Amino acid sequence: MKRQKRECPESSNPFDVLSEEIIFMVLDLLEQNPLDKKAFSLVCKSFYATESKHRKTLKPLRQQHLPAVLSRYPNITHLDLTMCSRVSDASLSSISNACRFNLRSIDFSQSRLLSCSGLLGLAQNCKNLVEIDLSNGTELKDSAMAAIAEARNLEKLWLARCKSITDMGIGCVAVGCRKLKLLSLKWCLGVGDLGVGLVAVKCKEIRSLDLSYLPITNKCLPSILKLQYLEDLVLEGCFGIDDDSLGVFKHGCKSLKSLDMSSCQNISQSGLSSLISGTEGLQQLTLAYGSPVTTSLANGLKKLSMLQSIKLDGCMITCDGLKTIADWCISLRELSLSKCSGVTDEGLSSVVMKQRGLTKLDITCCRKITDASIACIANLCNSLTSFRMESCTLISREAFVLIGQRCHLLEELDLTDNEIDDEGLKSISRCSKLATLKLGICLNITDEGLMHIGKGCPKLKELDLYRSSGITDLGILEIARGCSDLEMINIAYCKEITDASFLSLSKCSQLRTFESRGCPLITSFGLTAIAVGCKQLTKLDIKKCHNIDDAGMLQLAHFSQNLRQINLSYTSVTDVGLLSLASISCIQNITILHLKGLTPSGLAAALLSCGGLTKMKLQSTFKWLLPQPLLEHLEARGCAFQWRDKVLQAELDPKCWKLQLEDTVE
Amino acid sequence: MDPNNRLSGNELRNSIPNQTAFSHFNTQHPQKWEDPSLIDYSTRIEPPFQGFNQVKISQDGLGNEMRSTYKIQDWDPSAMLNNLSFLEQKIHQLQELVHLIVGRRMQVLGRPDEFVTQQQQLLNADLTSIIVQLISTAGSLLPSVKSTLPAAPPSVGQFGQLGGAVFPLPGLNGGVQLQNTNGSKVPDQPNQSDISANCVTEQNLNIEEHDLKEEEDADEGENLPPGTYEILQPEKEEILAPHTHFCTICGKGFKRDANLRMHMRGHGDEYKTPAALAKPHKEPSSEPTLIKRYSCPYSGCKRNKDHKKFQPLKTILCVKNHYKRTHCDKSYTCSRCNTKRFSVIADLKTHEKHCGKDKWLCSCGTTFSRKDKLFGHITLFQGHTPAISVEESKALVGPSDQKEGNQGTNKAGSMNFNFPPNATSDSGIQSIMDVKGNTDDPAGIFSPLNFDNFGGFGEFPRPPFDDSESSFAFLLSGSYNYSQKNEADDNSNNLA
Repeated sequence: MKRQKRECPESSNPFDVLSEEIIFMVLDLLEQNPLDKKAFSLVCKSFYATESKHRKTLKPLRQQHLPAVLSRYPNITHLDLTMCSRVSDASLSSISNACRFNLRSIDFSQSRLLSCSGLLGLAQNCKNLVEIDLSNGTELKDSAMAAIAEARNLEKLWLARCKSITDMGIGCVAVGCRKLKLLSLKWCLGVGDLGVGLVAVKCKEIRSLDLSYLPITNKCLPSILKLQYLEDLVLEGCFGIDDDSLGVFKHGCKSLKSLDMSSCQNISQSGLSSLISGTEGLQQLTLAYGSPVTTSLANGLKKLSMLQSIKLDGCMITCDGLKTIADWCISLRELSLSKCSGVTDEGLSSVVMKQRGLTKLDITCCRKITDASIACIANLCNSLTSFRMESCTLISREAFVLIGQRCHLLEELDLTDNEIDDEGLKSISRCSKLATLKLGICLNITDEGLMHIGKGCPKLKELDLYRSSGITDLGILEIARGCSDLEMINIAYCKEITDASFLSLSKCSQLRTFESRGCPLITSFGLTAIAVGCKQLTKLDIKKCHNIDDAGMLQLAHFSQNLRQINLSYTSVTDVGLLSLASISCIQNITILHLKGLTPSGLAAALLSCGGLTKMKLQSTFKWLLPQPLLEHLEARGCAFQWRDKVLQAELDPKCWKLQLEDTVE
Repeated sequence: MDPNNRLSGNELRNSIPNQTAFSHFNTQHPQKWEDPSLIDYSTRIEPPFQGFNQVKISQDGLGNEMRSTYKIQDWDPSAMLNNLSFLEQKIHQLQELVHLIVGRRMQVLGRPDEFVTQQQQLLNADLTSIIVQLISTAGSLLPSVKSTLPAAPPSVGQFGQLGGAVFPLPGLNGGVQLQNTNGSKVPDQPNQSDISANCVTEQNLNIEEHDLKEEEDADEGENLPPGTYEILQPEKEEILAPHTHFCTICGKGFKRDANLRMHMRGHGDEYKTPAALAKPHKEPSSEPTLIKRYSCPYSGCKRNKDHKKFQPLKTILCVKNHYKRTHCDKSYTCSRCNTKRFSVIADLKTHEKHCGKDKWLCSCGTTFSRKDKLFGHITLFQGHTPAISVEESKALVGPSDQKEGNQGTNKAGSMNFNFPPNATSDSGIQSIMDVKGNTDDPAGIFSPLNFDNFGGFGEFPRPPFDDSESSFAFLLSGSYNYSQKNEADDNSNNLA
């Protein structure tokens, strides 16, 4: 936790002396836990009023409460409606009337069924609106864009996956919102050269432009590159852009700092070279899943003296190519070679030798890497903060000791599917800043190793122990003791885990995501402990925990009021448990497959009472057992159904499972 | 030939003062029509039409009644008398001419047709000028008509009644009746070729129409001095024939000469020789070849060689297209918009290429057929923005209205069968059918009047006639038909 949390004194007297500004500053420090502010506001009337005035951001659960909430909080500048799967016209008009001039930012990214008249009212009334996120608005039409165009002061607009809008709609936005600085059109498949070209002509202030997967061609590139302030350009998956068009890069866009040309299949090294030669200030270059990285391509990087980050995920890389990159780049900070074929010890070592300032390195699935490279990295790149090396299977246990000895600054370490053992963990526990540690499918680690981590890494926030079968309650206990800031833990398929682990983890009050799939020894008692202790819990996966029943659900429903996502498949929960879950007002996403005690009527009742449900994964047999009008009603309310027809599978031994996994990989 | 020419020359000279009178009347109209916005194509056509009705009445000796019934202002009876007497004179002259022709025809049966047609043309021109004068004379009554129009319904109804009373010819539709009007006025011309005799009235209307229509874009004329070119006038049947080349052996028709030659090969080896298959050269004519120009066979048309301001057509293809476009039904309907109709299939194809593509709309109201053009426009102009069309159904409103109108007419037609079967009701039905079949037909104007006559118009409140608009054929609107339908309904109810 970065900021210190302060408890407000019980007496309100001292606060009478303090000015509102000072109390606001105190309240600023309570951002971490929403419950703290709630508690503060409930102390007395004056606190209530102060908190009402202080609050700037709001994330309402249900649109029904919007009018009341908005009248309570007059100074809202940022409104996050991602929890409301459906925002009606009435809500929109209450927003636009209540937050006339204060509202600066609004997020509809998970809301469907927005109407264009509602948006028009919002755009016309909230004159100071600067940011709108309309991502995933697949139903939004051009008329909605014409409404958005009325928001003249708009600077940031996200339209990702708005598949129904066309050049005409984007044209309206381009003409209306002249101050746009950020525009994301990712997956807007209806927008082509003309719309993008018009944006580039009309919105001169644009700094960030995301054109991923648009059907654009070289025609709109010249006008884009004339944008004076453009810094961030994403052209991922633009298949229409080819080598010929990239000649224009020679003429401009010196302001460009970040360029993403991932998955541009029609661009070869010649196009890349010409593009790279033009933009001298480039700092980040992403060429994932593109053409092979060879010497000639790497030679293009010669002039990019500012380059700090290169991402070549999924590319074919030659050893010479890597060497050339190492030669030309002056101060590389970030290198991602995830899933690159052709990365060898020789190539990687040559990069590491030259680029000692690397802070982030990703060599996921570079299966040719051996201890030699790791030794090199550990010895030379002492400033590494993030190191991902999932599935580097040739690396021996000893190499991990080396990492722990040298790279003390590590904050993120991904060792999934590696040969690391307790010795390695003991060494890694020296990285006191470690926040994320992934030890999934590490079959050689035991409680002893985890004990070292628990003692050495107090800042750990994420721990992944997926299928690390050597772990028992003792190890978890050590983690829970040492890492009180833990926010996410995955102990799926650690079959030795019992309620004791849950009890100890319940001390980690920041825990938000808890995955304990396939832990057959867990009972409702353990779950209750988590529910009571971890009030922040938002995601819970207890699939295949056969001993968890309705009792656990009742407690969970009572204590975990922040729960949004739950997976109950293969548990012993029945109608009663599910119905009680429905009382959690935040709950949005439920997966229930193979729940033996579930009846259609119980399911129907639970579905009806879960007002905020957005996603429901169910056994496909229920599709015919539930009344059709009910399903239609729920879909109209904003709930999407996913029907699965999975067969019950017998659980495999961890080693057996890994062998099977390797078989499928090969 | 000479006397004829002289005669016609006289005719022309004689007609000059009347022409001036005509133009005089015409120039008066704009002044008297108070609203300047009325001076457009349709209003300029009106005077002759209304005038025609008027003349019909006065010719039938009922003009006096008219005059006594309605107060007539701005009308000079003496001028009218002058005109009428001149017309009488002229008709006599024409009569003599026809007599002359009849006599000559007896003598020279073996003469080429050219001569006869020339004579016909002469007659035609004279008749035309007479009719023009008739109309212009009638036009002098026009202001008075207009002044009575606020109380128009009875007067319009009366016209209908008069028409019915004067020409109670069973089994004839409105158009034929009018032609007969003409026939009775020129009783000395029974020998005149059918077309010119029967269609004079219509021709007359058409003359006005075409004059007005084509004067606006009459610029393509090459100004060949008359006589320097040879005029060919294909027959209507020739123009409309699907095939122009026929096999002399089996009679099969072909559109192209080359196709015929290919076909001929099957009829024997003699057709397979290179000479037979070669493109036939035109035989070098003994005389210096004149430039060939074409005339439209539709008399009264500006492209017809008898027209005062005849403008020849350059090729046979021009004639074909002109004739189909101007004088034929528009039988090809655009399958996309279902509104545009064409008589030449090539026109339809050209239209279909662009139909519905004009959908790219700017906020300034400009439409573009191509999206990139719209975006270029928006790029160029500050503040212009793409206009999102909310309603694409707008285009569909028009046709559906029309359908309603047609339905109305159909109903009216069917309802009429409820009337007691007599001669007049028969013709009434026929005229309704005419309206239904072809609303564009100028003859259609008069059918509503006939209908009124039979339908007992006096008993039912007519919709107030917006004089200048709805009383004319091409302006027959759906709403007008509707009112008819209602009347018919009422009628049938009463009868039942």
